[in-house]
Amino acid sequence: MTAVSSKRHLKAHTGMRRQITPGTVTLEVITFLLAFIVFVPILWSFVVSLKTDEASLPSAFHYFLPPFTIANYIEVLSGGTKVVLWLFNSVFVAVVVTIGMTLLCSMASYAIAKLQFRYRKGIYMYFLAGLMVPGEATIVALFVLANELKLIDTYLGLILPALAGSMNIIIMTSFLTGIPNDLIEAARIDGAGEFRTYKDVILPLSRTVIVTVSIFTFIGNWNSYLWPYLCAMSEDLFTLPIGIPTFVSQFSVDKTIPMTVNMIASLPILLFFIIFEKQIVKGISLSGIKG
Amino acid sequence: MQLTQQGKKQKRLRGDLIAACFLLPFTVLYTIFTIYPVFQGAYMSFFKWNLMGKQAFIGVDNYVNMVEDKYFWQALWNTTKFVLYSTPAIMLSSLVLALLANRASPLKRLYRTVFFLPNLLSVAVISYITIYMCQPYDMGFLSNLMHSLGAPTEFEIFWLKDKHLAWVTVVVATLWWTQGYNMMLYISALQDIPDQLYEAASIDGATPRQQLFKITLPMLSKTTALILMLQIIASYKVFQQIWLITAGGPGRATRPLIQYIYEQGFQKQKLGYACAMSFVLFFILIILTLIQRKIGRKGEEE
Repeated sequence: MTAVSSKRHLKAHTGMRRQITPGTVTLEVITFLLAFIVFVPILWSFVVSLKTDEASLPSAFHYFLPPFTIANYIEVLSGGTKVVLWLFNSVFVAVVVTIGMTLLCSMASYAIAKLQFRYRKGIYMYFLAGLMVPGEATIVALFVLANELKLIDTYLGLILPALAGSMNIIIMTSFLTGIPNDLIEAARIDGAGEFRTYKDVILPLSRTVIVTVSIFTFIGNWNSYLWPYLCAMSEDLFTLPIGIPTFVSQFSVDKTIPMTVNMIASLPILLFFIIFEKQIVKGISLSGIKG
Repeated sequence: MQLTQQGKKQKRLRGDLIAACFLLPFTVLYTIFTIYPVFQGAYMSFFKWNLMGKQAFIGVDNYVNMVEDKYFWQALWNTTKFVLYSTPAIMLSSLVLALLANRASPLKRLYRTVFFLPNLLSVAVISYITIYMCQPYDMGFLSNLMHSLGAPTEFEIFWLKDKHLAWVTVVVATLWWTQGYNMMLYISALQDIPDQLYEAASIDGATPRQQLFKITLPMLSKTTALILMLQIIASYKVFQQIWLITAGGPGRATRPLIQYIYEQGFQKQKLGYACAMSFVLFFILIILTLIQRKIGRKGEEE
């Protein structure tokens, strides 16, 4: 009932606002121009990556006109560069961190939200305290610690500290607290233990929050810079954000190859966004409305 | 189901053990990599410490040096400058974009996507796009465009060589990169404003302008306070885009605190000193976070 009536409201509302007046036309034009300006740098990077003869282009506008070629992509991806390896590293680390984070967080959140044990509140407060710790301000100590643990310049060193943030625990715990206890008790009556309840009841029910947490963990890790910059010493361990600057700095004038590398680093995440746009938008607004 | 005293105790123990199994993997990583470095950092700040390890206990010398180090104050001031320049700009632009992209328009979804898109790009990518956009002598897009549009060939803007323009470049690049995220937060707050308010207002004859100032903006005030704090906190952590775009230059004009910490710690091997400076940053961020949490909680209560 409420859904229907609110939909009707929305219709009436948007209908009212769709009236075309000089004001709405002006706003539309302004919005379009702003969107265009915001998009131009990305579009320009893309078309530069499709050019091999940029030095001979007579004007700025010719970048956006054919001929286009994918020769740069072939050169970067097949030639002796490490870009492909960095791409692999980025994907590998981000995927492992995302899976690990989702698993560890959902387990710990389930315990805090639904299990009975001593010091539950205390442990939750302990996790809450982590939200106050800015990673940037402890990075020197983290480096010294990782060095002692022989984690510097290893995949494990890139992965483990990325799993230690407590933000996702807080988000997941508040979601899991909202799952009705009846569902859990029903599973218990059917003879399921805590592990089966977690696997068969909690995980399926928390799909929305898991998707949100995974997406943000993935994007965050894909773009993470400061820690990988300190931790990855050898070129073979670089992720794309670390590799791009070392690679690009070899080119002083030519920017077609650097832009190609930029695009290779960006296309997967843009594709990812297009696929998950709805969830990402929903995740940002953190609105609990079911889609 | 009556339980004996012992049964109860056993059940409680079992509950604790099961909970421990679920909690332990995360708690161990969290303790080692998030909590422990705070104390390790505090400890290190009282030592002379290089990449080989602990050298000597020097008490508060690192802190004394810091207070006397003009480059520390310069870097802290640069970070603060970045906060002062970028926060109002990003707040305003994300609000304006949200209002524009939330209008009824056939292109509504496209607008949102486009405004948000730069947010997805890695800092390395946005930094190099910025650098290549800003190169002089027709190599960069801006210079090229300027000349293609008829500006005289001898006219050039050196975006990264002049200290004021370098700040403009860094702030505009950050704005372009991050405004989309705040815009999304504003859009979701806009959608939470009940339509009835606007309907009632238009029945009462309120103009769109009055609706904006009397309904929309007041209804957004809580979101604005929250975004403001998040933005200040994020800006105090600025490092990566400045490091990649200007490397702190020209000279030291845009060098932020984290860059100075990095240089002292890892290039000059003064890890203890770097930790002492980190502690100042830590302190600033904790205070800001406490304020932000207070605002957030007030928002929830209302």
